[in-house]
Amino acid sequence: MKFLCRSYGHAFKATLLAVAFSTGIAVAQDYSSLGITDLVSSADRMLQRRDFDGAIPALVEIINRTGSLTDPQGRDTAQTCRFQLARAYYQIGNTAAGVEILDDYLANEPRKKERMALRMMAQGFFDTQEWEKIEEISTRLLTFPDLSREDIYNANLLLGQACFRLEKWAEAVEPLGYAARNTKDPRVEGLCQIMIVRALVEAESWRELFGWIPQIYRTDSKYDISLNLTLMKAGKAQFEADEFLNALLLYRMVLPREELLAFADERLNDLNVKLDADLKRGIAEAEIEERRSEITDIEASKTTLEELPPYEDEVTFRIGQIYAEVKRYWEGYVLFDKLYQTDRNSEIGEASMLQSVLVLYDIEQIDRAEERILLYLAEKPDGQYARTLLSMMMRDNLVRQNFSSVVELRPHVEMLPATQDEDELSLQADLHFMLAFGYLQSKDYKSAGEQFGVLINNFKTSSHLADAVYYRGMSFMLQAKYADALEDFLKYQAENEFGEHIAASLFREGVCQYGLEDIDAAQAAFTSFIEKYPDDALTSEAYSMRGDIEASKEATTEDPYTLDRALADYRKGIDKATSPLQSAYAAFQAAKVYKLEFKWQEIIDLMNYYMDRWEEEANVAEAVFWIGQAQIELGQVGDAVTAYLNAIERFGNDPFQQGVDKIILELVKVANTHLSTEDREGLVIKLKLKLTNIDLRYEVLRLRLQVAEAMLQGDDIAAAFGAELLEADTDLKLTTPASLSLMCDAAVDIGNQEEMQRLYNYFIENYEDSDLLWHAYRAITYFHLAEKNYDGVLASIDEAQGLFGAEPFMGWAQIFKADTEYKMNNFTEAEDSYNMVMGVAEWRGPLFAEAMFGMGNCRLAVGDLEAAHSFYQRVYLLFKSYADGDWAAKGYLAAADVLIKMGDDEGAINTLKAMLEDEYTNTNPLAEQVRIQLKKYGGQ
Amino acid sequence: MKKSVFSFALAGVFILGVASEAASLQAELIMPGGRSWKGLVVSRDGDWVEFSTGATKPIRVGADTIEELVFEVNIDQEKINEMNRNREYERIIAALDSALEPYAEYSDIPSNLVKYNSILMELHYKTKNYDKALEIAQKIAMDERDPELQDQSRVYQALSLIDAGRSEAAEELLAEFGWDQDLSDDSSPQKLYIAAKLMVLKERYADAMELVAKVVAFNSQDPEWMQPAELLCAEVYTELGMYDSAEEVIREISLLYKNTNEDDLAQQLKIRIEELRAEKELIESTESEEV
Repeated sequence: MKFLCRSYGHAFKATLLAVAFSTGIAVAQDYSSLGITDLVSSADRMLQRRDFDGAIPALVEIINRTGSLTDPQGRDTAQTCRFQLARAYYQIGNTAAGVEILDDYLANEPRKKERMALRMMAQGFFDTQEWEKIEEISTRLLTFPDLSREDIYNANLLLGQACFRLEKWAEAVEPLGYAARNTKDPRVEGLCQIMIVRALVEAESWRELFGWIPQIYRTDSKYDISLNLTLMKAGKAQFEADEFLNALLLYRMVLPREELLAFADERLNDLNVKLDADLKRGIAEAEIEERRSEITDIEASKTTLEELPPYEDEVTFRIGQIYAEVKRYWEGYVLFDKLYQTDRNSEIGEASMLQSVLVLYDIEQIDRAEERILLYLAEKPDGQYARTLLSMMMRDNLVRQNFSSVVELRPHVEMLPATQDEDELSLQADLHFMLAFGYLQSKDYKSAGEQFGVLINNFKTSSHLADAVYYRGMSFMLQAKYADALEDFLKYQAENEFGEHIAASLFREGVCQYGLEDIDAAQAAFTSFIEKYPDDALTSEAYSMRGDIEASKEATTEDPYTLDRALADYRKGIDKATSPLQSAYAAFQAAKVYKLEFKWQEIIDLMNYYMDRWEEEANVAEAVFWIGQAQIELGQVGDAVTAYLNAIERFGNDPFQQGVDKIILELVKVANTHLSTEDREGLVIKLKLKLTNIDLRYEVLRLRLQVAEAMLQGDDIAAAFGAELLEADTDLKLTTPASLSLMCDAAVDIGNQEEMQRLYNYFIENYEDSDLLWHAYRAITYFHLAEKNYDGVLASIDEAQGLFGAEPFMGWAQIFKADTEYKMNNFTEAEDSYNMVMGVAEWRGPLFAEAMFGMGNCRLAVGDLEAAHSFYQRVYLLFKSYADGDWAAKGYLAAADVLIKMGDDEGAINTLKAMLEDEYTNTNPLAEQVRIQLKKYGGQ
Repeated sequence: MKKSVFSFALAGVFILGVASEAASLQAELIMPGGRSWKGLVVSRDGDWVEFSTGATKPIRVGADTIEELVFEVNIDQEKINEMNRNREYERIIAALDSALEPYAEYSDIPSNLVKYNSILMELHYKTKNYDKALEIAQKIAMDERDPELQDQSRVYQALSLIDAGRSEAAEELLAEFGWDQDLSDDSSPQKLYIAAKLMVLKERYADAMELVAKVVAFNSQDPEWMQPAELLCAEVYTELGMYDSAEEVIREISLLYKNTNEDDLAQQLKIRIEELRAEKELIESTESEEV
């Protein structure tokens, strides 16, 4: 880049020699014969006539004669002539000769025209592009005091260009800046700015450069092609050096190629038109040359630009990367999005899609990220980023514990094409691993095991292989497939001596052995674990498990201390616990053992020990429950009741302190069994008082106290209270298992299906460990029954029985099961189910009668009339008193009907007569119907 | 120096030539059809304007028939620019108000004073006098002589309403201008910027962020909108709790736009972020102690 200074081509005003010399006339070309005065006059005249060629020999002659003079006048004459000679050479275009003379001038004294001489020299060197000389001269020029503004401007302009040409980047900036600020020519301003930017880029003076950016972008300088190429190159270098902010600001300045080319074409057109016009008008050769040079420069840079491969997308992509890198995520996102939307199928489009998703995750726009991933997978199930994107989405959902969303991606994983690429294989293994984890956490252990199996069988080099073996073992174990699980845990131990799960796999080995009922092996594994890993997070559980084993052993004469060993293990379990849950398990298991041994004081001591150890984290309510139980056994009923009341009051406002509900039930039980009517009423009054004084904000506690009060007043009032809660549309957030169970029962009583389902869902979701959860199962079973969804009925009963087995309160489940099987015409199964009721002593009562009657119905349904009759007969013979004789009455009637079916009308009449004579049934509402029937037969 | 005195002095600096008598103002009267006269605007009498060409008795012209009055006002534009660069907004407003006062009674007639009104519009907005900015902007918007200025006035109408917290009115205005439609990557930076500001007002920060990010990402060579957009970016990142991101933008603002209004505001924002960080840390440490 080369351009002019303001004095270029400027005709210096003639400085008359007459100032120094008297006038004279030159008459001949041979100046040797002329006297000095005539010589001077002759030269002066020719200079005034602008006859520079003619003046030169005269001036040379004068200098020859005066050059060696030492007196002031002689020296002055020689210097003046040197200056004028140089000027004459410049005028005739012999700049080199002029520069030589100026050199002499500047080496001698006096130098009255020194500034002008320097400017001329600089100009001379500018023409010959001797930049070092220009630098030297313009620097010297700038040292003069009292320079005119034009001189300062010109000197800076020359110096700036010289430094720029000499690649003295830092030094070029200041003089060019001065020139840019002070020129009135926009073209010079623009060129200076471009050189400044280039110099600052080369000097890596970023801060200063970025200060210039807003200025440059207000002018057309931004369209300069070489400037844009420089910025792009510098941006790349800075990006590669991880100088992201610099790179960003550089890249951001780069304009699209089309814009640059359009501007260059426009500029070329303007220049050519102007040049043609000026050529017709007639302009200096130097000007023409300069204009042509500018045109050539633009054309050359245009060619360079046209030869470049497309850079816009790459620059946009880089800018996006930088934005994301410097945490300006949204700016990055919109750029990537634009690239992706512009061309979804190009390599950069797909890469942008990937980047955009990464950014969306960074800014927690999860829905948009997932939407984008799923769209991509739908469009390109085998796309190059399919595995990566699936992996991102799965990982994110795993982290956020959205396990169902993880497993929902399985079809996409299965649609991925086979690959041999190592990276892709590794990603694929990741996908199966995460999928398996999704299943594991969703409690779909079977599918989890399958996915771990896929990894184990197909990705032998995966970094997850060992983990997969361990977790497949877990999946088997949680399906109670202990033999398979054991195999994996043993394999893990054998192959991963220092593996992350080595301790856990030994512990699980013990659990599996226990599940396989190889108790000795289990105990050995737990013992081995305790010895090897005394401080592991599972050590407490190992002690508890070994305690359970010891507690389950029969004490013998040879080994009478099993319970003592169990207790010792449980205590260790409490000590070694790393979580309140581990400690609670050990503590309450130990309490059960003490209970077996009637060691009530020990229970109290242990619970206090446990509460001291875990303080606020302890399950205090449960502990208080145990203490209360022990106190009751020790005859300290009053203390127990007080402890219960205190615990309810203290923890009752936290809905998730489920021990409080347990205490409420226990309090009711204690009141019913150990308190006099008077004391019970006193207790109710105490609760009422507490309810009166309670802080209104303690809504959960209030509800619990109300439940306790209702329950203390009997089942009917409790049931009515449950109905009230239902009626009042109580906010479920305030409810706890005690109130929920009353509400579930109320929903069943009034047949409100919607509530049955809602309460069940809430109960299960919030209190799945509650002892009262069976009320929820009962409600949902009634719901399915009302819907005639018999499979649903059997499934919910199955679940309920899985959790609560044959507890005294679970008789309803077995009867329902049998009734449903009967309704499904599965009479054999139904009879078996009815029969099973009779096997549970705790269910003795009306349930027995109902079961026996059901068995009769089953036989009747298959036409086995005799057997049916026999069952009905047993109902009225064995269970007369149940349900006010209802079952007996039903038994009589059913037996009579069977006898009629068998053709034994007489027998039937006798049976009905017997019913009317039976004191348990003759007042039953059904008796009236029998009387009418007998009248018809005329038997009575 | 008292403000009024100073303003008066400043007006003197600005105005290089004003009619010596406030009632007579040098102007060119342009009537429909291109007819024009140079002379003095003598007075205003309701709907009538008295205009004298000097040679004859003043003529009376219906104010609503005048196409344009070109007043001879020599306000030192360079000086205004310099003071604007120095962010001496209040002083410029005071000086311009004073300088334009003699012309106030002709403000309903299209004139060359509109360019000064546009400066006032911008400055009132910058000094948060949104009602005044809105009032001027609405007046400029009705003047159809300069579509570019009209556009600018629409921008300031919208910005004034938004910054005054009048979201419903702003929404109506944007709908009227059609600026609530098609907010794509290729939309004009001012449209995206204004929509982003409205989203901020409605506390829809993620939407705001996406819009303003488009201004920054797709208009990085637009010196007019980049500065405010980058500041808005920093503000919205702060609202989103993305303090690192906000600080990165602030760093860039101080690098690129040193000694500008945006830089000042960015530095204030930086202090606020430090406070927010400290608050956050305090809350977190309190929570961890509670746990």
